[in-house]
Amino acid sequence: MRMPRRLLFPSAIALAVALAAVVGCGGSGGDKPTTALSHDARGSLTVWDYYGSATPIKPAIAAFHKAYPNVHVNYQAYDYDTIAQKFPVAVSSGSPPDVATIDMTLLPTYAANGTLSDLSALSGGKVNGEPIGRVYPRSALDAMTFDGHYVSMLYDFDAYALYYRADLLARKHLPVPHSWSQLRSVARQLAEPPDRSRFQVLPDTFHFAQMLFQQSGRILTPDDRKAAFDDEAGVSALGMMKGFLDDHSGVYWGADQGDSSGIEGVKDGRIAMFENGPYVMGILKQSAPEQRGKWRVAPAPVGRQPGSYLGGTGLVIPANANHKEAAWAFTQFLLRPDQQIGVYKYAGAAPATAAALASPELTKPDPYFGGQAPFTVFRQAMNTATHFPYVKQWPDVDGAITDAVTAALLGKASPQKALSQAADKVDGILGG
Amino acid sequence: MGSWAASPRLRIVRARRRGPTRRVGAAYAMLAPALLTAGAFLYLPMLLSAYWSFTDYNGIAAPHWVGLGNYRELLASADFRHALRNTVEFTVLSMTIGPGLGLASALLLNQRIRFRGFFRTAYFLPVITSLVVVATTWKIMLNDRGIVNDVLRFVGLPGHAWLADPSTALPSMVAASVWQGFGFETVVFLAALQSIPSELYDAASVDGAGAWARFRYVTLPGLRPTVLFVFVIGIIGAFQVFDQAFVMTQGGPLDSTKTIVYYLVDRFQALELGKASAVAYLLLVILAAVSLLQFRLFSRRGDRTR
Repeated sequence: MRMPRRLLFPSAIALAVALAAVVGCGGSGGDKPTTALSHDARGSLTVWDYYGSATPIKPAIAAFHKAYPNVHVNYQAYDYDTIAQKFPVAVSSGSPPDVATIDMTLLPTYAANGTLSDLSALSGGKVNGEPIGRVYPRSALDAMTFDGHYVSMLYDFDAYALYYRADLLARKHLPVPHSWSQLRSVARQLAEPPDRSRFQVLPDTFHFAQMLFQQSGRILTPDDRKAAFDDEAGVSALGMMKGFLDDHSGVYWGADQGDSSGIEGVKDGRIAMFENGPYVMGILKQSAPEQRGKWRVAPAPVGRQPGSYLGGTGLVIPANANHKEAAWAFTQFLLRPDQQIGVYKYAGAAPATAAALASPELTKPDPYFGGQAPFTVFRQAMNTATHFPYVKQWPDVDGAITDAVTAALLGKASPQKALSQAADKVDGILGG
Repeated sequence: MGSWAASPRLRIVRARRRGPTRRVGAAYAMLAPALLTAGAFLYLPMLLSAYWSFTDYNGIAAPHWVGLGNYRELLASADFRHALRNTVEFTVLSMTIGPGLGLASALLLNQRIRFRGFFRTAYFLPVITSLVVVATTWKIMLNDRGIVNDVLRFVGLPGHAWLADPSTALPSMVAASVWQGFGFETVVFLAALQSIPSELYDAASVDGAGAWARFRYVTLPGLRPTVLFVFVIGIIGAFQVFDQAFVMTQGGPLDSTKTIVYYLVDRFQALELGKASAVAYLLLVILAAVSLLQFRLFSRRGDRTR
């Protein structure tokens, strides 16, 4: 029997909704440039962080405290899912944090609903005295922009490259794949005995988009009003993913298998190749130290053109944050090159600012990857990466695409049929 | 006035009149904290939530009145109907198997068997274990390389992707829920079984009733209020299933485990608070209707057996 304690759940939802009305919230309009926070400034600010134990934010707080000794930082650590659930509740109930880490894929929903501060106005167009346009690469600036203004500062970025077991490829005298056909061929040969190690196939929008963008495809039409992923490029991209499963050179990695990094499969040898973002470097080092020296990173094999999904972690200041001046000071502090290097140093992820990406710390050889400097590969991927469409219905669009990809990969529908049905659904969502 | 005031009878009458008033006042004073708390944190939010279910509201901008628009959209939504169908399937499966197992184990434990206390504790332990822990454990057990598939392969049967296959994901979730919860039904049924007077069984035996007849005409009628309790509480809980789907499958694959509350949370995360409130009230109406139906059904049966 399901326990009656769950009766509390709708009440909690109702409570959160009710508090929003009682407290009342401000809109995003009206953000003005903040003056520089003085060394003697007093006050406190609340920071939400989803990085977990390997966070670069917590160590930064000590340094921030030296710069602003009278500003107390109320640091609150949550996991990724918790922040995704708590953020809208906190903002709508009028008790938001001052700074939060947010997955960039959630940005359109939050921004479209006016929950985020206008950082273009708040910053006066500069980060740490430098024009924002010079702090980030072009693709990052696009990702941070909603409705003509910045709503987030990219803290770490996510663009995909190919991770592969160099030792297995070398043993079978296989080349590092550069094209889709080479990738399929190498995957087939890796799957043969004795290794039986495969390419990881994830049924999600991220990995479908990776293939789609490489086929010059788009998720939505340029005006964001209709689905565009069901064209020839989309069918080809999904067909490519399904091909790995059809010839048993890929391992289907659904939610039941574990998290999307596939670390369990990496450790037990089921996975020899996968496409993912730079954050997985940290996971590999932490969770599979015994495989040190065996992995390498290469640009994702190309279909028609290089391309990648672009995401990552954004620093946001809620529209109704109580201490915006201190929040912006803290955000700038986290984007200083020395603090950005901490993203790599502590979390093993990729810092987003151009200065940090060019620093020797990130471009030096990494023994875990056999002396390779893998960040240069991800930096290259970032230059041709595209963020997901910024429509407020994105969670529903994402869900429809994920269902289509899952249906096709599980053999419940052909790629064409699955994508066509999803496109009809998405057209309805965007038109509704 | 003097004689009136001095009348002992009147003093008693006045004292009697003042007594209940004082007592009622004291009762209200003692109830006030609970009433105020419930009013502020339960009933007021429920009323406001009811209002928002008739609005387009994202929690930030002012709500915009849409009348029955949210309800119409939900009832026309294939996704909502799919979530409702999943929830009904989950409820039917879990409320068939769970109470059945609970009653069966209670009947066994009601016998004079050794280690009865141990079994009672063993059955009840999962009930006090966190649902998230239970769901995570089952997720690991049902994994491609989990113990369930290991056992199947050991006996020469092929393994199965239980949680990755849309046709087996929901039944897998039911299995985890039943395992976690049937100990509660066991304890409740056991307590009810032990309250049925043994004289009734003795009388039935004297009348020549066999085991089945004793169960049919003595045990089951004796358990009627308990069965009603188990089903009302169980169905309310089952309709609100969320944790298992969130941990084990995240509503997938292909939305095969997306339940009404999961759908509600989705709407909430998409900042469609008006629609999320409408889902909550539709759920409330469904549960009220189902509970009423159960009360009617059980009271009619009760009337017939009298």
